[in-house]
Amino acid sequence: MFGRLLSRLTHAAAVCAVVAVAVFALLQSAPGDPFALALEGADVPAAVRAEWRARYGLDQPPAAQFVRWAGALARGDFGYSTSRRQPVAAVVSEAFPRTLVLVGTALVLGFAAGVWIALVQTRHHRRWPDRAFSMVTLAGVALPEFLLALLAMTWLGARWGLFPVAGVGSLGDAAAWPLWLRAVDFLWHLALPASVLSLAVASRVARHQRAALLSVMREDYVRTARAKGLGEWQVIRRHALPNAIGPVIALLGLALPSLVGGAVLIERVFGWPGMGLTLFEALLARDYPLVLAAVLLATVFAVVARTLTEFIADVVAPRRPQAT
Amino acid sequence: MRLLPSRWLILACAALGASCRAPDAAVSGGILVVSVGADAETLFPPLAVGTQSRAVTELLYDKLAEIGPSLNTIGDVGFAPKLARSWSWSADSLTITFRLDPRARWHDGRPVIAADVQYAFRVWTDSTVGAVQRQALAGVDSISAPDSLTARVHFRERTPEQFYALVYTLMPLPRHRLAGIADSALQNSSELRAPVGSGPFRFVSWTPRARLELASNPAYYLGRPGLDGVVFVVAAQGATVAARLLAGEADFLEQLSPPDFAQLPSDGRVRAVSYGGFDYAFVQFNLQEGGPLARPHAIFSDAALRRALTMATNRQALVRNIFDTLARPAIGPFSRTQWTADSMLSGIRHDPSGATRLLDSLGWRDDDRNGLRERAGKPLRFSLLVPASSRTRQAAAVLLQAQWREVGVLVDIEQADFNAFLDRAQRGAFDALIGGVRTSPSPRGVRELWGSPGPGRGRQNWGKWSNAVFDAQVDSALAASNITAVRAHFRAAYQAAIDDAPAIWLYEPRLFAGVHRRVKVAPLRPDAWWSGISTWSIDPAQRLPRDRRVPRAP
Amino acid sequence: MAASTWHRLRHDGAARGAAFVLGAVAAAALLAPWLSPFDPTAQPDPVALRLLSPSWAHLFGTDPFSRDVLSRVLHGARVSLGVAAGAMLLSVTLGAALGALAAVVGGWVDAAIGGLVDVLIAMPRLLVVIALVATFGTLSPWWLVALIGGSGWLTTARIVRAEFRDHLQREYVLAARALGATRWRIVWRHLLPAVAPQVAVAAALAFAAVIPLEAALSFVGLGIQPPLPSWGNILLDGTDYLTTAWWLVLAPVAAVSGTVGAALVLADRLRAAIADEEREA
Repeated sequence: MFGRLLSRLTHAAAVCAVVAVAVFALLQSAPGDPFALALEGADVPAAVRAEWRARYGLDQPPAAQFVRWAGALARGDFGYSTSRRQPVAAVVSEAFPRTLVLVGTALVLGFAAGVWIALVQTRHHRRWPDRAFSMVTLAGVALPEFLLALLAMTWLGARWGLFPVAGVGSLGDAAAWPLWLRAVDFLWHLALPASVLSLAVASRVARHQRAALLSVMREDYVRTARAKGLGEWQVIRRHALPNAIGPVIALLGLALPSLVGGAVLIERVFGWPGMGLTLFEALLARDYPLVLAAVLLATVFAVVARTLTEFIADVVAPRRPQAT
Repeated sequence: MRLLPSRWLILACAALGASCRAPDAAVSGGILVVSVGADAETLFPPLAVGTQSRAVTELLYDKLAEIGPSLNTIGDVGFAPKLARSWSWSADSLTITFRLDPRARWHDGRPVIAADVQYAFRVWTDSTVGAVQRQALAGVDSISAPDSLTARVHFRERTPEQFYALVYTLMPLPRHRLAGIADSALQNSSELRAPVGSGPFRFVSWTPRARLELASNPAYYLGRPGLDGVVFVVAAQGATVAARLLAGEADFLEQLSPPDFAQLPSDGRVRAVSYGGFDYAFVQFNLQEGGPLARPHAIFSDAALRRALTMATNRQALVRNIFDTLARPAIGPFSRTQWTADSMLSGIRHDPSGATRLLDSLGWRDDDRNGLRERAGKPLRFSLLVPASSRTRQAAAVLLQAQWREVGVLVDIEQADFNAFLDRAQRGAFDALIGGVRTSPSPRGVRELWGSPGPGRGRQNWGKWSNAVFDAQVDSALAASNITAVRAHFRAAYQAAIDDAPAIWLYEPRLFAGVHRRVKVAPLRPDAWWSGISTWSIDPAQRLPRDRRVPRAP
Repeated sequence: MAASTWHRLRHDGAARGAAFVLGAVAAAALLAPWLSPFDPTAQPDPVALRLLSPSWAHLFGTDPFSRDVLSRVLHGARVSLGVAAGAMLLSVTLGAALGALAAVVGGWVDAAIGGLVDVLIAMPRLLVVIALVATFGTLSPWWLVALIGGSGWLTTARIVRAEFRDHLQREYVLAARALGATRWRIVWRHLLPAVAPQVAVAAALAFAAVIPLEAALSFVGLGIQPPLPSWGNILLDGTDYLTTAWWLVLAPVAAVSGTVGAALVLADRLRAAIADEEREA
């Protein structure tokens, strides 16, 4: 099993390399200039502009630029962000943990809630709890995330004042608070963005988990368990769930990139300066080193998460999963 | 009942007891939270372009003297002493001697000296630094330092705005901290991520794209500011920026957008404060086809056609739709707030039937009755480039599209992200675009924006409009020494631009800041709302937990 | 086998409901010019008639430019459904072709296509599309179809490849090959019909994914260009007024979520029908 993990990881490395080349090529063909915004209206002689471009190696042919960039990367140097005027590593090390927390919370919360909803639905199959939750989860998938985020921000945040509108922490002497209070404060700011994102995750998980559970419920061993006189709830939890959860975990790994994509808009609405927002702004600013690093990181993240979830799914449910 | 967001934390705080004492009730104190939509791009004054970068750098660094509330740019009338306690002119006006305030200190305690002024001048004029306003200092020949508190500025020529151009642009920089860094490396220097300035506020911390914190400078030579600190909180989404103010999480918002106005609470918690503005927006026509040949544009090289489109434009309706009463139709290539503005100029009036007749006479006719005009088989159709980042300009594009459709002109709106927009504008790869500028108090910028492309002018004239009368009048105006003559020449230049219609002057938004009622603000200056911030205060009765000062790390 | 899957689906209440919703939306799109009370791009009076609340004349009110929201949503259905259907067709065709190629030819072709899938699946689709829009500049609906369709074929390809490889081992295929049928004939005559229900599931899911994507693109200002109404840009026009004229988003939200929801239900029921079929087989 670990051998397979290893081969997956080498495969993943190859994937990342291809992504890097593809993104690099794409950026090269995009119109615009990393210095366009900084220099709008500035009286910078052509010679100085050329010197600036040369400093970042932008005067060289694309292939040479790529080799240079990859070489620096091999030495652990992600390059210098032209829009942030900071090393890329510094930008990423600040933004990445924020997204990790946001997406991670949404994943854990959403997964737990989704599985729980599916269990309840299976327990009460075709009765009102099942139908009600079906409507909710359908809405959770069908409603545009950015609209939910805006509604939550304007009504729950601004209008009713139940949650902070935006940001990652309180102002004032918050920096001097004891750790637990700062942690509470952080979670309180995380609540809205993570909830909106986890609603989408929970809906998707619940829909798949319900289908998987229902199909497993018809299997012989479930019937046997029932015949042994076990309660319905126990049958579902002890016998059906372990056999039905594997594919859902694997699916979660596959859904991760779309979650990161959705996080862009959520981060924007809730003023949560994570990787999604960083990547989006870097893209608009034509900040090549930052875009490359961010995309690469997202890819590594996605590939690792996918490998991990497949691995977990294998461990949890070694049986070949049913087509769901 | 509406719970303030901070209410929860007050409760959490109460549980803690001692560490959360009530704020002391002194008149000074309190922290102003400013909600902004874009973070500062840099904290290095020569490179500060955007409003936010300017706001932060001008709170951190003082200038030699500050422009007065009348925003006069001629001579030194109205300018208030800052780092320079006084100044004197030589008889020929080619030299101004500034005496620095001996109390002025950098935030690290070192005195501000004449060498800092000299150093700043060198940095600003060094082309490898890339200072945005380098051109404004072109009239300065050199700066000498007879003693450590005297800076003598030698000018190349006498101009009415020489004092303004120097003082409004240049901010003395701490030579003792920066001189060791090569000029070309300054823009990326880590020293400038935690800058040491001379202004009323000193730097505390910066989390890019999230928040930037400044604390009042207790040793400020002009007296300690009323506020304990200023915190800028950033959110990219416009709705979020406004929501922060409306929810009470922020105290100040530089510019309320038209939809924000409808949301202002009726209980007066947040009020709108008007402060003029130096913005104007326009539809710019490209007079040249793209490509290396630089041929005249098939549609827009004809001034009569440009006039006809202007006549077909109902600016009044456009302004009312987007801004209600929060903007006025623009008059010409200037803002009403500039002192050279002239609202008596004769513009091109909205006259749809006149536009129809003019278009007919130009040969653009709808012979096949498809509602669209053609000439020699080619339809009267062009694209209108709009930046995707500006909701107001997008709205203007949608309204113009419908207005021009009425007279048989077909417009394709093209939204592009701002970088692509700028790229196409600079390359001249567009038919028409909706642009917007924030001018400075001086009318001089008009030469770069609308002057014929050539040395010393027209660098940002994306439409390549070229008009000898306009150029000559602007040159005469900038060289004239008495105010009446300056006004007369600008008036003639503006009229030439209006008549030749290189653009349709659309609207001038009136800026309204959103201010929470707990904040007492001084009058806001149209070019820099933050200019009087040292005298702002926060009502002691309305202090919040967030007003407690951040304890300084040792 | 596949035929009876369709039969099951036809007798499924939820599936019929969902099909009805999709049919109604499609009909509304086709009949938009006759159903709409107003011209969707006309601005009768941008000053006096903007942001009207719902009334009998304007069932869903008027937008910030005094245009009738209902008429815009009806016409927007043409663009949004058109883009979604076009992108779905493109991604399903592309996915089926590449998946079949990978399964049938195998070897390095399989490896190459598998690698491509692995690369694309690891990148956030929304960001990829934004990057491409920024690269190519303003997009016509046709380009949007090409971009969204071209980035959405992964799921179909994976499903088709897996199913094909499964079927290629089955007796009926081996028998057909023994009888001298060529590989591509088997694909055409036996395999494609066999995987059709699975592909239909993927198609419904692809369709359901495109509509929110178009809306998200509009939200960042890079979607369908005005004056052409699309559900995304109608929604965007409403989001500025969420607290003051909240009714503006009602119609576009109902359209988006109704259509997406119906497509998802259809995909679900189809999947359930396939599972039932396999269990009984």
